[in-house]
Amino acid sequence: MATAESAPAERAGSMFDTELYHRVRTVAMGTLVVISIAVLLMWPAITDYYSYNASYYNGIVASAAISAILTISLNLSMGYGGMLSMLHSGLQLAGGYATAYVVVKASGSWLLGVVASVGVGVLVAALVLLVSLRATYLYFGMITLAANLIVIEIGREWESVTGGIVGLSGVAPKLGDEPMSKQVFYYVVLGALVLAYIVQRNIVRSGVGRAAMAVRESSDTASAMGISPARAKLLLFSICGGIAGLSGALYALQLGFINPDVGLLDNGIIFFVGLFLGGISTLVGPVIGVGFIAVLVELIKDQARYTTLVLGVLLLLAMMVIPRGVVGTWKASRAGRDRVSDPGDETLPEEVPDVVPEVRDADPGVPALEGIGLVKHFGGVHAVDGVDIKIMPGTVHGIIGPNGSGKSTLVSCLTRYHRIDSGKVMIFGEEAAQAPHRVAAAGVTRVFQVPHLFERVSVLDNVLTGMRMQETYTWLGATLRSPAYRRQDRAERAEALELLAFAGLASRADWLASSLSHGQKRLLEVVRAVATRPKVLILDEPATGLTSDELDALARLCRTLRERGLAVVLIEHNVDFVMGLCDEITVVESGKVIERGDPERVQNSPAVLEAYLGHPELIEETA
Amino acid sequence: MSPEAIIDGLFAGSVYALVALALAIVFQPTRIMNFAQGEVLILGAAVAYQIVALEKMGWAVALVVTIVAAALMGVLMERMIMLPVRLSGSRYAWIIATLAAALIFQSLFNLGYFDVDALRPDPVIAGGFEIAGVSVEWQELLAIVVALAVMAGYDLFLRRSVYGRAIRATAHSSDTSVLMGIPVQRIVVISFVIAAVITAVAGLLAAPVIFIAPATGLIFTIKGFTAAVIGGVGSPRGALIGGMIVGLLDTVVRSVVGGTVGNFAVFAALAVILIVFPSGLFGKPMEAH
Repeated sequence: MATAESAPAERAGSMFDTELYHRVRTVAMGTLVVISIAVLLMWPAITDYYSYNASYYNGIVASAAISAILTISLNLSMGYGGMLSMLHSGLQLAGGYATAYVVVKASGSWLLGVVASVGVGVLVAALVLLVSLRATYLYFGMITLAANLIVIEIGREWESVTGGIVGLSGVAPKLGDEPMSKQVFYYVVLGALVLAYIVQRNIVRSGVGRAAMAVRESSDTASAMGISPARAKLLLFSICGGIAGLSGALYALQLGFINPDVGLLDNGIIFFVGLFLGGISTLVGPVIGVGFIAVLVELIKDQARYTTLVLGVLLLLAMMVIPRGVVGTWKASRAGRDRVSDPGDETLPEEVPDVVPEVRDADPGVPALEGIGLVKHFGGVHAVDGVDIKIMPGTVHGIIGPNGSGKSTLVSCLTRYHRIDSGKVMIFGEEAAQAPHRVAAAGVTRVFQVPHLFERVSVLDNVLTGMRMQETYTWLGATLRSPAYRRQDRAERAEALELLAFAGLASRADWLASSLSHGQKRLLEVVRAVATRPKVLILDEPATGLTSDELDALARLCRTLRERGLAVVLIEHNVDFVMGLCDEITVVESGKVIERGDPERVQNSPAVLEAYLGHPELIEETA
Repeated sequence: MSPEAIIDGLFAGSVYALVALALAIVFQPTRIMNFAQGEVLILGAAVAYQIVALEKMGWAVALVVTIVAAALMGVLMERMIMLPVRLSGSRYAWIIATLAAALIFQSLFNLGYFDVDALRPDPVIAGGFEIAGVSVEWQELLAIVVALAVMAGYDLFLRRSVYGRAIRATAHSSDTSVLMGIPVQRIVVISFVIAAVITAVAGLLAAPVIFIAPATGLIFTIKGFTAAVIGGVGSPRGALIGGMIVGLLDTVVRSVVGGTVGNFAVFAALAVILIVFPSGLFGKPMEAH
C-alpha cells in the first residue's frame, strides 16, 4: 500500500526536480512578471480604449498600489523584523495629514508634502519604537495599538492642522501650475510602489535585513554577533514608518482628502488580510495579496455591503488552507521550491583559509578574557560565588563541573548576558562594556548551549549574519546598492563560502539551516561565530550529540583557532574531548572554582574527584 | 465636573471590567488576546434591542436569549479562532484569526442593523433615585452590582471548584496540564463560552445607557483590553480595578475637558502604563508569544 502510493509521488518529484522543469518555470515566471508590468504600464491606455469609465479603473489600480506600499511596510515590520505593528493605519493617516497640510494649508508643492509625510512617518515610528524598547512581542503590539488610537485622537482634536473630524479635502497634486491629471499621477503611484519594493528587497537581502531577522529570531543570538537589537529594530521600524508615510501621502493625493477614519484599525485590517493572503516574510507576497483583494472587491462591488464579511471569511479560510500565504505556500510546494545543490562528499581542505581570524598582536601576558571576583545570585541560589578566571590568548581553556555548578551562568556573566552582582570583567586588560553586543564587538563571541541557528534562512545567510560587525555600509548604501556595498557583499560571500568549505559544509550553502543534521547545525553555529572574527570564542557544550567524525572536525577547528592566536573557551561534559584538547582547565562546583591547571593536574585532583564522585573515603567505606 | 460623572464612570467602568474579565478568561488557557470579544457585547445589546425594544417581550426573555445566544457564539468563536491558530503555526496567527472573527461578526451586525444608529432598549428598571444630591439611575446601579457579583462569583469559581483549579493549571502550562489528565480542549471551549456569556450580559446591561452602535465592538475590546492591562491580566480583582480606572478616566476627563479627549486620556494611560509597568499595575507579567 505504502509503496504503491509513494511511487507516483516520487515520479512527480523527479519531474519537478529536473533542470528542464526549473528552466521552464523560470521562463514562465519571467514572462508572467513582464506581462504584469506591461499591463500595469499600459493600464491607462487600456482602460481609455475599452471603457467609458477609465478614471474609475485607473483609480482602483492606483489605490491598490497605495495599499500595497503600506502592506510592504507592514511586511518589513512584522515579517522580517518580527515587530507586531498595529500602528500602520495610523502611520498612513499621519503621512496623509502631512501632505494635506503642506498642500492645502501651507499651499506648498505636493512633492514637498510627500517628503514631509515620509519624515512624519519616520518620526512617529521611531518615537513609538524608542519608548517601547523594553516591551516584548505582545506588548509591543499593544503599545502600537495604543499609539494608533492616539494618532487618530490627535487627528480628531487638532483642528487647526488636521481639520478635526471632517478632515482636510482638496488635496491635489500639481504639475507646474496646472492640476496634475489622474493619468500622470497613476504613474507617480506606480513609481512609488516600485521604489518601496526595491527598498524592501535590497534591505532584506543586505546585512541590515539580516541583522533585523537575527533580532527577530533571537535577540540574544543577535547580540552574540555584535548586533545591537535596539539599533536594528529602530532602523527597520523607522524605514517602515517612512514607507507607510509615503503611502499616506499618496492616499491623500489620490483621493483628494484625509480624515481620522483612515487610521481606524477597521480600515487597517485589509492590510493584514493582504499580507497574510499573499504571504508574510516573502518579497512579492504583499503585492500579490493586495492585488488579489482589489480584484475580489471589484468583483463583488454590486454586493458591496458583504465585502467585509467575505474578506473575514476569506482570511480565516486562507489561514487554514494556505497558512503561509500564496507565495509562501508556493515556495514550499514541490512545484515551487527552489533547487538546492546535492550534498557532495566534501574533503576538508588541508590549508587553513585566510578568512579564519588571526590574533597576533596580543600581549601574551595579558589575559584575553578575565573575570575577577564574579558574583551572581538568583535569590538564594549562589550560581556564581566569587569566581576568578583568566583565559590567555592562544590557548584552549576548558570549564568543567557537575550539572548545575554554574558554568553557563559564569559564561553569561563574562559576556554580560547577566548583570553581575559584583566583580569585574576585563577583555584584553580593559573593562568590558555593559551590553552583550558590545562585548561581542570587543571580540568575545559565544555559542549557546541550545542551538540558536536562524532556521528559516540558508546556511550561507547564517554565516553572513555573523559578519554583520565588519559591514561598514549604511542602510542607504544597501538600498541603493552603492559600489562600497557591492564590494563588501561580494567579498563577504566569498569569505563565508571559504569558511563553510573549511568546515565541510560548502555543498550545503544554499540549504535551509533547518534541514541540517544536529551535528551540522552545531558546526554551522561555530562557523557563524568564527565569522564574527572573534579574539575569544566561547563554546557552551558544543560536543553534545556529535558523532565521532563531527567531534574530530570540531577538535580540528579548535586547534586551528588556537594556532591562530585565539582564546577558545570550552564548556564541556565530554571528559575525553576536554582532556585531549585543553591547555588549561577550570573546575567549577557550586559557583566556586575548586581546581585549575593543566589537564593532568585536574585529573588527579582530590577536590575534583570529590565533586564528581562524592567523598573518596565514603566510596572506600561502602566498597 | 459633576458628581454624576463619577457615577457614569463607575457604570462604564463596570462594563469595561466585565469585558476585561472576559478577555482574561480567554487569555489564560489559550494565550490569545481575543479581538473579537467586544462583538459579543454587541450581541448582548442587539438581543436586548431586538427583544425589548422591537418585540416588546420583556427583560427576562432577553436575558435567557442572550445567555443562550452568547454561549453559542462562544462555541462558534472558539472554532473560528482556535482552528486556524492550530492549523497555521504562524506566530501572528492569533491576532489575524481574532481580527478576522471580529471583522465577520462586525459585518454581520452591520448587515442586520444597518438602519440602527444605537442599539438602545428601555432600561430594565426605569428612572433613578437621588442620594446626597447625586442622581443615580437604577440601571447604572444594577450594572455595577451585577459586575461586582460576576467578579466575586468567578473568583470563587476559580478558587473553589475543580474546573476552576483546572483552568488555573491550564493557564500555567497547557502542555503539563494535558499530561496531568486535564481536558485542555474542553477547558478552552468552556473559557470561550464563559467569557462570551459575561461579555454579552455586559452588553445587555450597558445598552440602555451607553451608546452602542452595531459596528463599535472593536472599541469595547480595546477599552476592555486597556482595563485588563492596567489591572494585570489574570485576576478578577485586577479586571475590576482596571475597568473602574478606565471608566472613571474616560468619563471624568470627558466631562472636564469635553469631546473625545476622554478616549485620548485612556489610550495615553494605556501607553504610559505599558511602557512604565510592562506587567500591568497589579498583575504578573503576561508572558506569551
